[in-house]
Amino acid sequence: MYTWICAALVLLPLAAAPVAALAGTRSGRARDNFTAAVTAGEFLLALALLSSGRAGALPLPRLCGLGLELQFGGLRSLLAFLAAVGWLSGTLMLREYFRGSAHQNRYYAFWLLTLGATAGVFLSADLLTTFVFFELMSFTSYVMVVHTQRPDAVRAGDTYLAVAVVCGLATLSGLMLLYRLTGTLNIDGLYDAVQAVPPGPALWTAGGLTVVGFAAKAGAFPLHIWLPTAHPAAPAPASGVLSGVILKAGVFGILAVSTQVFRFQTVWGNLLLAIGLVTMVLGAVLALFSVDLKRTLACSSISQIGFILTGIAMQCLLGEHGVVAAAGTMLHLVNHASIKLILFPAAGVIYCCLHSFDLNRIRGFGRDKPWLSAIVLIPTLSLAGVPGFSGYVSKTLLHESMVEYIHLVEGSPLLEAVYTGAEWIFLLTGGLTCAYLLKLFTAVFLEPPPRGCAPGHKVYMSRTSGLTLSCLALALLPLGLLPHRLMEPLARLAIPFVTDEALHEISYFTPGNLRGAIISIIIGLMVYLYVVRRLLIRENELGSRYLDRWPRRLNLENRVYRPLLLFVLPFLGAVAARLAETLVDGTLSLISRALYHRQTSTVEPDVDPEFAAFSSKPRPRQGFRYSFAYSLMLMGLGIAFCMLYLILR
Amino acid sequence: MSGAWLLVPILLPVAGGLSMLRIRSSRLRRAVTLGVLSAQAVLFALLTFLVEGGEPLLYLGVDLPVRLHSDGVGRLFGLLVCLLWLAAAVYALDYMEHKENRARFFGFYLVSLGALMGICLAGNLITMYLFYEMMTMLTVPLVIHTQEKRAIAAGIKYLGFSVLGAGLSLFSFFFLRRYWADDLFAPGGILNPAATAGHEQLLLVLYLLMMIGFGAKAGMFPLFTWLPAAHPVAPSPASAVLSGLITKMGVLAILRVTWFVYGPELLAGTWAQNAALALALVTVFVGSMLAYKERVLKRRLAYSTVSQVSYILFGIFLLDGTALKGALLQLVFHAVAKNALFLAAGAMILAVGQTRVEGLRGVGARTPAALAGFALAALSLIGIPPTGGFLSKWYLVQGGLDAGLSGWGYAGLAVLMVSALLTAGYLLPVVLAGFFPQEGVQPPQQECPLSAGINGTVLLLAALTVALGLFPGLLDPLVEPALALLAPFGS
Repeated sequence: MYTWICAALVLLPLAAAPVAALAGTRSGRARDNFTAAVTAGEFLLALALLSSGRAGALPLPRLCGLGLELQFGGLRSLLAFLAAVGWLSGTLMLREYFRGSAHQNRYYAFWLLTLGATAGVFLSADLLTTFVFFELMSFTSYVMVVHTQRPDAVRAGDTYLAVAVVCGLATLSGLMLLYRLTGTLNIDGLYDAVQAVPPGPALWTAGGLTVVGFAAKAGAFPLHIWLPTAHPAAPAPASGVLSGVILKAGVFGILAVSTQVFRFQTVWGNLLLAIGLVTMVLGAVLALFSVDLKRTLACSSISQIGFILTGIAMQCLLGEHGVVAAAGTMLHLVNHASIKLILFPAAGVIYCCLHSFDLNRIRGFGRDKPWLSAIVLIPTLSLAGVPGFSGYVSKTLLHESMVEYIHLVEGSPLLEAVYTGAEWIFLLTGGLTCAYLLKLFTAVFLEPPPRGCAPGHKVYMSRTSGLTLSCLALALLPLGLLPHRLMEPLARLAIPFVTDEALHEISYFTPGNLRGAIISIIIGLMVYLYVVRRLLIRENELGSRYLDRWPRRLNLENRVYRPLLLFVLPFLGAVAARLAETLVDGTLSLISRALYHRQTSTVEPDVDPEFAAFSSKPRPRQGFRYSFAYSLMLMGLGIAFCMLYLILR
Repeated sequence: MSGAWLLVPILLPVAGGLSMLRIRSSRLRRAVTLGVLSAQAVLFALLTFLVEGGEPLLYLGVDLPVRLHSDGVGRLFGLLVCLLWLAAAVYALDYMEHKENRARFFGFYLVSLGALMGICLAGNLITMYLFYEMMTMLTVPLVIHTQEKRAIAAGIKYLGFSVLGAGLSLFSFFFLRRYWADDLFAPGGILNPAATAGHEQLLLVLYLLMMIGFGAKAGMFPLFTWLPAAHPVAPSPASAVLSGLITKMGVLAILRVTWFVYGPELLAGTWAQNAALALALVTVFVGSMLAYKERVLKRRLAYSTVSQVSYILFGIFLLDGTALKGALLQLVFHAVAKNALFLAAGAMILAVGQTRVEGLRGVGARTPAALAGFALAALSLIGIPPTGGFLSKWYLVQGGLDAGLSGWGYAGLAVLMVSALLTAGYLLPVVLAGFFPQEGVQPPQQECPLSAGINGTVLLLAALTVALGLFPGLLDPLVEPALALLAPFGS
């Protein structure tokens, strides 16, 4: 029966999508209710699958020619459940967010298609299946990004799709090479198959190319460029699933490749660690500088993906002892998903009232709204890694794994210094996370509203939205308080995907572990007081004002990718292609001119209506063909041919 | 039964086409066209299963026999042509209501199908050459149908390139006929090893000449420039069959020469194979690049054909079973997708009267069905799973890596991926700007409503690209017999 549930998780939303669009042409209410019913069904199915604890596979031979395969259990069921949660909560809140907006039928159809595709990615047994659903997901989620069709949304959508297509093709070529080397793409069987392949550039090329598409979707540096514009452009509940769930599809792919193809490869681990660290710092700094609520949250997603990547890297480096890193990765993944599923829609609630995400305009919105403050406070504290909240647990595990590795390399002072540096970057980024969250929370919930704007809005969110958000926030609360009872089972469920080792008991609230969190929080407070308050806020007679101090020129997308891909490379390619085209047409016209060079007589049809008359009168000679230059050119060509003949003879 | 029965599918459309001279009423024309084409598809399938043929039907000279025979390859190409010809006809019957000279158009449309059938059923090179030239002559009127100056110039260019190409092939044929014992096509080649010994270099030169010659029809570099001139000026249903199917006759000729006359054994690893592979890959890149730079939608699609057909040629030249499977799948998927694209483009252009890509912003509001069909077919052409184009590329690359020419395998992978990227670059913006124009962009004015026949054909073909991609097993009865003939001879 569970195989059927697994199939239904993928097929139900895919089949329901056209129905939703059709229903919408009759009545918007019917469509909304239908979509809510479908996502609720999906949620119940995913819950059943997760709570059963079963595992199994569903091969679909010959589908797409090569055969696809679905699999469930462990991490896969967990991620599918997260997706269902994301979509259910998103659907419940969309109704309020979308009131009276256009193109809703289109949106709901693609919303459901994306759910099916995302479930397909998470439940895939082999990388080909992953890729098939991954591409589907990229294309269908595009519609969510451009939904408003505002210029910035269209531009963000273009970038989103371009990154997806370019990096998707890289992944496809990687998969082709990998399949050629190993003869299988089944995730569980890949490690054994890779063992039979001699290590060398072929395997590295194959694995490296495969990761590109997944890394781009996850938002890893330097392929993160689409994220800060695409997530804010989408409607807020959609941003929630884009950030909370769809990024995880990329992480799923990276996990699969780095634990199967590159298991225990130190070089790969170091590369990934570097990427992870850069991504986490970059995301946090971008978030700190941003003055737009949603953009801050999007950049924060980049940063958190950096944490997750670091976890994956530590698994590679620690090898046999990587179980703590694995647990940290999995838990951070779950944490980040649930946190963003609350924060983005909460931002949407603010947008529905004020129609802005600009911190200077939404400032003080939540001052007299304790319910909303409480809902936002829980995920914020969790993300900041405050002890007692879920984020603390996963960050502690990640930190613990780094400390473990530093112990492992104790013999070599250089390595020790390098990895201690990495540890400090980790703690610093934790501090930056605290700082930007403090900035957001202070701005929205503590500061006074800008002068002339009444706080107002007695009824600022519908009952459905309020309940949905409260449920999500309440679910988050016990996780952090009872890590052994609630979070470790989750980790145990997910870990078999990456390692066979069992997770041992960990004490989270030891002084050593608390120290890391406290260092981060202190750094965060210092950054907030000395950087945010001094540099990013200007006090004037109207009150304080948040400044956008990020230099416009520092934009990888506009400075490098767009010029390169839109101008430089096409220009070079077009020059080559035009040359090839002119070569043919030019040669042919040259030949025809040479052949018709001396035409001295013409047929004149006008002389007699019955017969054409032949005239010996020569044609008027004009143009290049009759010029001296033309004769010279032909003579030159003749000489060239003679020379060629002499040389080649 | 005798091979003379195979004349039936050749003569039936000719008869149907000639009857158009006498038919005045448009309802009767519709009935005859659809009747003839449906009967044609059924008859072709039946007769090619029942009759093998192969014996000489007629001698052109002392030893130039005309032979018709049917095998797996001919059946695959022929059935594909028959079915898509029928689909395009359904579209054309509605589309041409808006144009002049309908009787002439449908006359030549049907008669030229007879020539295509002849190429598919030809049993030897000279028969194929005859029908090949016939096809060129009969399709010129489709190109110059509008009789605009531009169309006539394009028609002459088409004629010139095609005749030049066929002439190159004929030239090679005259040399080649000294080297075979029996001229009936046979998988794995018919050249007599005793006769060819010592003349390999000459034979390879002739091979390359033939490839360039027949490659003219398939739009292969260097003789491809007629294609972007001729395909866009024809009425859209004619462009669709010109681009989707008639180019495939060049492919069939190349397949026949490579696998049925020369055989992989003689060609594998020679400079001629390398040269042919290089030409194919250059074409893939050049076609895509020029399409990316083109602003007129139908010309863009014509350049895209240049690129996509050479994927098939690349698969044929690799002389490998897996790559050949990719090539045959690409043949089917490209034919379906390109027909869908041209028909959809024609429908949009007819509806709003804009031929340039910029003019079609927001067209999704006017012709949602046509643009949706365009979108699905575009995904197939790019090779996004689960559409068909994904699978053919998979086999092409796997075959290329298998073929023992590892350099070409990697080069093929790289060029195919760059080309796929460019394909996305020239097709997706049309779809995206059509469905999701920036706020404030006014959709173009509707000039003419689209009939159910037009929208239905486009959507049917587009749905077919997805259905065949999801269940490529549906194609097995057609593709597997052709592969079974040839794969044992591959590397």
